[in-house]
Amino acid sequence: MSDLTLDSIAKAYGAIIAVDRLDLTFEHGKLTALLGPSGCGKTTLLRMIAGLDQPSEGRILLGDQDITQLRAEERNFGMVFQSFALFPHMSVADNVAYSLRVAGVARPQRDQRAAELLSLVRLAEFGGRRIGELSGGQRQRVAIARALAQEPRVFLLDEPMSALDAQLRADMQMELRLLQQRLGITTIVVTHDQREAMTMADKIVVMSKGRAEQVGSPQEIYHQPANSFVASFIGNANLLAGVFDRGQVSIGAAQFDVPPDMRAQAGAPVTLFCRPERVRLHAEAPLANGLGGEITFVRDVGPSREVHLQTDQGHVMAEIPGGQGQSVKVGDLLFAELPAPALRVLPGDGGDCRA
Amino acid sequence: MTAAARETGFGSAESAGEGSSLGSKATTLLLALLVVSLCLTPFLLVIAISFGEKIEGAAWRWAFTFDNYKRFFVGADWPNSTSFLYLSHLWYSLYYSLVAAVLAVVTAFPFTYLMTRQSRRRQTLWLILFLSSMSLSEVFVVMGWDVLLSNRSGLPMVFRESGVTEWLKEVGWFQTFRDWGLANPRDLRFKPTDFATILTLTYLVWPYAVILLYPALARIDAAMLEAARTMRAGPLTVVRTVVLPLTRTPIIGAVLLLFVFLLGAYVTIAVFAPPAKHTLAISVYEAVRGMTLNAPFGSAQAVILLLTAATLLVMSTRLTRKAGRSRR
Repeated sequence: MSDLTLDSIAKAYGAIIAVDRLDLTFEHGKLTALLGPSGCGKTTLLRMIAGLDQPSEGRILLGDQDITQLRAEERNFGMVFQSFALFPHMSVADNVAYSLRVAGVARPQRDQRAAELLSLVRLAEFGGRRIGELSGGQRQRVAIARALAQEPRVFLLDEPMSALDAQLRADMQMELRLLQQRLGITTIVVTHDQREAMTMADKIVVMSKGRAEQVGSPQEIYHQPANSFVASFIGNANLLAGVFDRGQVSIGAAQFDVPPDMRAQAGAPVTLFCRPERVRLHAEAPLANGLGGEITFVRDVGPSREVHLQTDQGHVMAEIPGGQGQSVKVGDLLFAELPAPALRVLPGDGGDCRA
Repeated sequence: MTAAARETGFGSAESAGEGSSLGSKATTLLLALLVVSLCLTPFLLVIAISFGEKIEGAAWRWAFTFDNYKRFFVGADWPNSTSFLYLSHLWYSLYYSLVAAVLAVVTAFPFTYLMTRQSRRRQTLWLILFLSSMSLSEVFVVMGWDVLLSNRSGLPMVFRESGVTEWLKEVGWFQTFRDWGLANPRDLRFKPTDFATILTLTYLVWPYAVILLYPALARIDAAMLEAARTMRAGPLTVVRTVVLPLTRTPIIGAVLLLFVFLLGAYVTIAVFAPPAKHTLAISVYEAVRGMTLNAPFGSAQAVILLLTAATLLVMSTRLTRKAGRSRR
């Protein structure tokens, strides 16, 4: 079907490069999250897709059609803005039916479609209200219904959850995901929240400094990060700088076995990666891949416990199930085991450790 | 101070509050007196004088007669003869002011809208330009337009010397200008005409119109306009369906304010308006300061102008509010 393709798209503001020659494909009917820290170019990219900003270079294709030169009003892409941008001078129903009014649809059909969409976002009774009378979550649903009213070819959302509180945010993420799957509409969500991206997306594009650091499914991004930026941006990560040699990574005096498919040039500086929940703690030194250290901090968050160790090779964080007998106190000496299957060897650009 | 009072801090705060509230009451009273004496006294005097009597060949004396008001509405000689001269002055006051106020706001709106879509820096430069242009007095502005529109040395001369007038005659449009009163048999002529009057009045208040519209237009969230665009609205549709409805109240407010402001325009009318179409501002001045030295009649005219303006303002705000409610 008609995938949305970005062909070496770039945007520069004077000397500042916001988006640096990106090639991306957004599959038809799938939800893609553009994930990255603020200033990484993800919103600029979304605005270029929407037609609100013109790219400095490159092409945007929808199926075979080159839409680079089409203005926002000619693209038929629905968009939900960070501030929702609802019209305060119109009722909820009139907001939802705005695109139909612009298209010249008669009042009765318009009202009927607005009612359908409002019940789709579970606001059926709210059509006659003013925007000022709605809560944040209700406003977001109106914004979603309004963007869907024109049956857009692509659905764009710019930080749609940022105005909501934490509980509502989690609910809306699920709700939006279910709605998107039901409608089967090509969707792009901009977010800086990795949980949000993991909850909703079929595919995540991790961005940094105008570039795509990694493109993949949430599981791939989490378990097989391409580099230490992705590893540390998505969840917590132990990153230890070392040197690769003959199927092992040496960090200081310690040697670590790694999975056989992990390769690098002999003697090359690498970063060893391990998720905290894969780290095991032992009272005595394990046979291999062990690091001894003193506990510097324990965070007990109920379902799990974070244990921070200071070792000769750097700072290591372990996440162990909470509420178990194992006693961990600050000041105790323990051994952390980084099991070989849990390790990945990343290019050696990372620092000593980021957790 | 007791220990408890020190602990809570209430005791000291309260006594200090009482002392300062006494002081602030006195200040308020003084200010009120000042405002009343400065603003209200002349105004009340004008109302009182409007019931006074003119003594032929001399000044006037206090009295309580409605003769001045009678003269305004039906002429001094009524019921023997009737004259609507001063009603026509009132009509031209309202006519010129309203047309110029509407024209200024209507033309300033697109300009201001486009201005608010530019960078902050540019907006600031424009605003400084307009604020400084407000320091030009009416006399100064009128002088400029007087030269520009004068029949001997202004635009009519430019058109004549450049051959445009001749060309207009050839294509037959000259007659149209004649029909509109903008030409004598030989040349274009802009003075005295309604055209020149309204043009200058509009020019006079145009910067004010921009300054009045600017805050409302600048406050509109750019995302709202972009949202409208993603819903297939072209630039004009965005203005019609989003910008105008959101700024309706400030637009009406600007028209009303400029209208009231222009009711007092004097120099423009004196220089550009045809004598038969002079306004109340002119005839008030003539009555009070001119040949006749009839302060009571001048005051009566001023009072009527004021009351008319006030009535129109109240009516229009009522209408606006009603329209706002019915739309909901």
